[in-house]
Amino acid sequence: MTRNARSDNLHRAVRRFAAGDRARTFSDLALEIAAFQREYSPGFARLWASRQSAIESVDDIPGVPCDAFRLARIALHPEAEDRLRFSTSGTTSGARGLHAMRVTETYHELALNFGRSALLSNERAHHVVALAPVLDDPPSSSLGHMMAMFMLDFEQRGAFDVRSPERWLLDDRGVNLAGLEQAAARAAERAQTLLVLATSFALVGLLDALQGRTLPLPADAVVMQTGGFKGKTREIEPSELRAAVARSFAVSQAQIVSEYGMTELTSQLYEATVPGSALERERHGAPGVYAEPPWLRVVPVDPTSLEPVPSGEVGIARIVDLGNVDSAVAIQTQDRVRRVEGGIMLLGRAEGAPARGCSLAIEEFLAGGGG
Amino acid sequence: MSDFAFEARRARLEPLFASARSLADAGTERGQRARERLLASSGLSAQGVDFALARCLETAPDEAEIAALIRGTPSAQVAHVLLSANVFVAAHRAIAIALAASEQVRVRASRREPEMAELLLAGAPGAFELVAELSPRAGDRLWAYGSDETMDEVAVTLPAGVAFHAHGSGFGVAVLEGSHSEAELRALLGALAEDIALFDQRGCLSPRVVLVNAEPALAGQLARELARELAELEQRVPRGQLSAGELSAITKYRDTAHFTGEVFEAGLGYVSLAHEARWLLPPTGRNIHVLATPNPLAALTPYRPLLTSCAFAGAPALGQALRQALPGARVCRFGEMQRPPFDGPVDRRDV
Repeated sequence: MTRNARSDNLHRAVRRFAAGDRARTFSDLALEIAAFQREYSPGFARLWASRQSAIESVDDIPGVPCDAFRLARIALHPEAEDRLRFSTSGTTSGARGLHAMRVTETYHELALNFGRSALLSNERAHHVVALAPVLDDPPSSSLGHMMAMFMLDFEQRGAFDVRSPERWLLDDRGVNLAGLEQAAARAAERAQTLLVLATSFALVGLLDALQGRTLPLPADAVVMQTGGFKGKTREIEPSELRAAVARSFAVSQAQIVSEYGMTELTSQLYEATVPGSALERERHGAPGVYAEPPWLRVVPVDPTSLEPVPSGEVGIARIVDLGNVDSAVAIQTQDRVRRVEGGIMLLGRAEGAPARGCSLAIEEFLAGGGG
Repeated sequence: MSDFAFEARRARLEPLFASARSLADAGTERGQRARERLLASSGLSAQGVDFALARCLETAPDEAEIAALIRGTPSAQVAHVLLSANVFVAAHRAIAIALAASEQVRVRASRREPEMAELLLAGAPGAFELVAELSPRAGDRLWAYGSDETMDEVAVTLPAGVAFHAHGSGFGVAVLEGSHSEAELRALLGALAEDIALFDQRGCLSPRVVLVNAEPALAGQLARELARELAELEQRVPRGQLSAGELSAITKYRDTAHFTGEVFEAGLGYVSLAHEARWLLPPTGRNIHVLATPNPLAALTPYRPLLTSCAFAGAPALGQALRQALPGARVCRFGEMQRPPFDGPVDRRDV
C-alpha cells in the first residue's frame, strides 16, 4: 500500500473515531499512526530509535519538540501535496514553523466537532465575528482559518463572503468597536446568538479602547478567547481578563470560554464552561480547566526525563493528537500543565535554561535572529 | 596619555595582578580557600574550578597587552563595575579595566557568584571597593557584564552623563577548514573540547556551534571525534551541577537535534550534526552543534551581533577575513577562546 493510501486509511479511521466509532481504541490508533510516521519520517525514526525502551503504549511515543517545526519540515508528504500550510507566529526574527496538511477533511471535522460541543449553547442560528485581522488568502494562520470555519458552519446559512470586513474586527488601528456594536445589534434583531472569537491581546486592546465603558452584548452571547500576548500588548492574568471582559460585555464569566490550540496541532482544547453547551453538560468544567476531545490526550511529563509524572503533579505537556496523521502524532511542548478532574490546567510556559550571566539563552537566540 | 599618567595607571594594576597570582596557585592557603569557595558558588566540579583557574586566570599578562588595555581605556571620575556570574575569572579583567580608568573603583559582584571579587580584594586590600549597589553619577563610567536583559535594566536606571559600557549576552563559534593531518585534527578537537568544557560552557565566549567547511560525511566524522574528545575530557574534568532548567533545556535540544540530524553522546553532553544547513543553538552544559557549510563567513553573518568569540583553524587568510567580518568578536586559535589577550574587555562589542 502506498504512503498516501495508508495515510488516507488512517485519516478515515480517526474521523470515524471522532464520530464515536470505538472499534479501534485511542491507543491503537496513536500507535499505528506513530509507526506510520516512523516509516516515512527519517527525523521521527531517529527520535524513536533514540529511546532506550520499546514503544508499546501511548505514553512511550516520543514527542516531537515544537522547536523542530522551525528547523525542519514536519510532514510525511512532499510540498507539492500540501493543501493547507499554517505558519507558527514564530519569533521576532521572522523564523517561523510550518504545519502542512495534505488532508483537510480531518482537520475540519475535528475542529468543528469539538468547537460545536464547546461553544454552541443552543440550537439557534449564530452570528459569528472575530476580533482578529481579516483572514489572509491562502490562510497562513491556523487560528484565522478555524475562525472562518466556525463562521461558515455555525451560521447555518450556506456560503457567504467569509472575508467580509464586518466579520474581522481588528486591524492596525485596533478593535473596531462600532463594528462589534453593529454585530451585537444585528444578532439581537435576528434573534441569533452572537459568538465573538478573539485573541487575548485583542481583548486587552478592546478593554483599553473602552476605557471602562461597557459594550453590552446580547444576554446569550459567547466569547471565545485564545492565545497569549506575545509581547503585543500588556499582559493580564487570565482570571482578571475573563472578569474584565465579562464586565465590559455585560455577560456572565461562564460565557467567556478559553480555547487552547497550537499551529502544530490539528485539534483544540476548551474550557467546558459555556452554559447549555454539550461539553458543559458532559464535563461540568471549571474555569481554567481545559477539556480534551476524545481524540487528543495530554500527558504531563517530567521536563528532563520526559517520563509521565504522577497524576496531579506538574509536568510539561506532551500532546498526542490523532489528527496529526501526516505530521507528528505526539508533540512535546514546554507548557506546564497539571492533570485535574475534567481536564488539564495550564500553568504557563516552562522557561528554558535560564539566562545565567552573559551566556546567550536559546530564547534570546531565537528572538534575536537565530533559528 | 603622558608617561606619568600611564605609569600611575600601571601601578594601580599591580596589586590586583599579585592577588590573582596567589589565587591561581593551588599550593597557597589563598589558592586552596579560593577553590573551596568557588566550588560552592560556581556549580562547577572541583576539577572544573581548578581547570578554570589554571587555564583562564591571567597571572602574568604580557606588558604589551597591559599597555593596550591602559591606553584603550577611557578615564573616569569613578569607575563602576557590575559583574556577571559563571565565569568567575572575568572579575579580574573587569576590575583591571576599571582600575585603568580611575583611582576610584566600585564593584558590585553577582549575587550568585560573589566570591571572586571578594577573593581578589582580600589579596589587594584597598585596590577597589566592593559595594552592594552601584550609584554612578555624571562623569562616571559603568562597565557592566551579564545578560542583555540585565543591560537593558541597567541602562534605564542610569543618570544622564554616565558612560555605559555594556557587555551583554553572546556566544562563541569555531570555524574549521582546510586540510589537516589526523594528529593535527585530534589536537584541534582536543583544544576545542577544552574551550567548550571550561565553565561548563556558561560563558559568553564559550563555543556553541562549529562550522565545518567540508563534505557532510567528513563533518559527521568530526562530530563523532569531537564527542569522543569531550567524553575523554569529562573523565579528567567532570561536569558540575546543572540546574533543573538547564537539564530540561538539554533534553529539548537533544530531541530536536535527533529530529533534525544526528546526535552523538559526549559524556553527559551531546554533539549534534545538522542534516540541513540550519543553526541550532545548544544549551550550556557541554553541548555543541556541528554544521557543514561551504561558506562559513556567509553562515556567520546573520549572527554577528551575538558573536563574542570565533576560533578558527585554516589558512591565515581565513583569520583575516573573520576579523574583518566579525569586528565585535575575538578571533583566535582553537583552545584560546576562553583566554583572550588581556588588552581590554573580553569581547569587542562595547556599545
